Amino acid sequence: MKFTPIRASLISVAIAASFAVAIPANADETCNSPYTASLIKGQEDYVHVWTLGVKGMGDESDKLVTVDVNPASKDYGKVISSVTVGGRGEAHHTGFSDDRKYLWAGRLDDNKIFIFDIGTNPAKPKLVQTIADFTQKTGYVGPHTFYALPGRMMVQALSNDKDHGGRTGLVVYNNKGEFVEKYDMPTGKHGDVMADGYGYDIGINPQKNALLTSSFTGWNNYMMDFGKMVKDADAMKHFGNTMVMWDLKSMKPQKVMHVAGAPLEIRWSLKEGDNWAYTATALTSKLVLVKQDDKGEWQAKEVGTVGDPSKVPLPVDISITADAKGLWVNTFLDGTTRYFDISDPEAPKQVYQKVIGSHVNMVSQSWDGKRVYYTTSLLGNWDKKGADDEQFLKLFHWDGKALTEKFSLDFYKLKLGRAHHMKFSAKTVQAAALSDKPQMSLAQNR
Amino acid sequence: MQTFVRHAAKLLAWSMCALSAAGVQGASNPELAPKGPRQDFVAPAPGTYSLPPIQRTPNGRVLDVDGRAYSLQRFTQGRITLLSFMYTYCVDPIGCPLAYATLTQLRERLIANPDMASRVRLVSMSFDPSNDDPAAMRMYAGKLADPKSPVSWKFLTTRSVAELKPMLDDLGQDVSVELDARGKPTRVLNHMLKLFLIDREGRVREIYTTAFLMPEVLFNDIQTLLLEDAR
Repeated sequence: MKFTPIRASLISVAIAASFAVAIPANADETCNSPYTASLIKGQEDYVHVWTLGVKGMGDESDKLVTVDVNPASKDYGKVISSVTVGGRGEAHHTGFSDDRKYLWAGRLDDNKIFIFDIGTNPAKPKLVQTIADFTQKTGYVGPHTFYALPGRMMVQALSNDKDHGGRTGLVVYNNKGEFVEKYDMPTGKHGDVMADGYGYDIGINPQKNALLTSSFTGWNNYMMDFGKMVKDADAMKHFGNTMVMWDLKSMKPQKVMHVAGAPLEIRWSLKEGDNWAYTATALTSKLVLVKQDDKGEWQAKEVGTVGDPSKVPLPVDISITADAKGLWVNTFLDGTTRYFDISDPEAPKQVYQKVIGSHVNMVSQSWDGKRVYYTTSLLGNWDKKGADDEQFLKLFHWDGKALTEKFSLDFYKLKLGRAHHMKFSAKTVQAAALSDKPQMSLAQNR
Repeated sequence: MQTFVRHAAKLLAWSMCALSAAGVQGASNPELAPKGPRQDFVAPAPGTYSLPPIQRTPNGRVLDVDGRAYSLQRFTQGRITLLSFMYTYCVDPIGCPLAYATLTQLRERLIANPDMASRVRLVSMSFDPSNDDPAAMRMYAGKLADPKSPVSWKFLTTRSVAELKPMLDDLGQDVSVELDARGKPTRVLNHMLKLFLIDREGRVREIYTTAFLMPEVLFNDIQTLLLEDAR
């Protein structure tokens, strides 16, 4: 086919113009589902904080708090929205739907799941649906991790309604909030490893058809007073010691790996072709690499320690950089964040540390790694007490050498509650609804 | 002016169709070639896994390339169906052209497996009824829409956005018109690429976005549903 100059020009302009199409990203801001769209690679506008209500404080209820974090905004560093969901049910983690328009947020005690419309106006999230029959449908307790699949949401539970121990499972909903399927975590002997049936986090590598899960503890422990629990020898026996590699397509466990001491957050390297993920163990303070060996078999191995394991600093949230060369690791009990150089994932090196507060739990970084956000609450009954019970959202700037605090929001002074999971959003892209009028032509736009 | 707009749009649509069909797009500029996801695993064998029903497909009025009106259910039941939404002038290499490339690849595999081909249907439905009328869809489809083709591939549109939108919403298929700096609509339709695998009863059994659009997996999923029918 021979193109005339005019037609060729028209086509090239069209191609250039059309490249702004929303790109389903291969990754999100370093920790979300790879199926989630609309990656924010620039400045995030808002941080949404899923917050635990506190008796005697404000409206006493769990709530989704939205903070304006764009330095160009007049409301920079201020709370601009707070959506109360009613009651206190141990608000914990959240996750975006695949189109990033809805945020699912779970409660570990009353097992309710709240779905917020974030896409219409991210500055003012709106509660649009509540799923109240999670346990009745599944027999599981504690909807913890929310991980988008195409058109669906996968939920990792922490416990069950028979003994409130750690045996639990995975649940899939469609994006309408309708139950699709459930999958028990594996139990019994798998190779040389005894599967404990516990669950905690979800991480998917689509290129490998790999779904990796970790393991924590059941309702009996996560709702118990922390000080009481650590003195209870029997309770301390009931923590997860496994990670499971699943075949994502078939949802069948492929390998159960022994990882002692409650392996928690899972972060895959986001680089195309990489075949490894990191986790940190809460009770044994280890960094664990899950990677395929030369034969393609998944192996979990300890590659480093976090702080002094003998002091049980309790590693909690971790955050991997987009280039998979750095890893932030928070330790709850000493309120410290640590940055590891993981250029060689087999040999992580700690290169920086800073005390963020009396205790610290979650860490979330922007895609470029320059902005790092921290919140405090781990679990309502595990947070420190008295003067050490600080509850904040803090933003730091990271220049590659040091963290510099930019703002701190005291969630207690603001009468909001305990600040837990964070998610970013950006102002809605300039867009209009479909119309029956012919779309504006390129000629008209010039 | 409106006449010119429609003419220009159809010219562009035709041009892009010709580009896609001829494979010129990728040949002239590798960066514009549809790029599918990397697959570093062997897809599970057909029939060794199940695909739980995700939701029912919606119903609504659609138009075929001859302008005849039908119920969408006519094209989502009775066969294993792969439904996707597109617009004829989309050129995002990981958008409609990727879906097109994947579907044409699948079509070739189906032609090589005539027993399967007779039980499978491909459906491409337009996001933009104002531009993609039945004639535009016929032009875009070319010989692929030939009723005598060994693989049934339906190219559908709707009379209006009002008729299209409820179907999109029900399937969770987002789409919006991108605006330029002056707030005027451009010719870019923002959407997340989704292909819906639908069983004979009209239930969505799998959804493929760009990160999951792996031809081998897709082919095995179709076989898995066909094996269900055989039981």
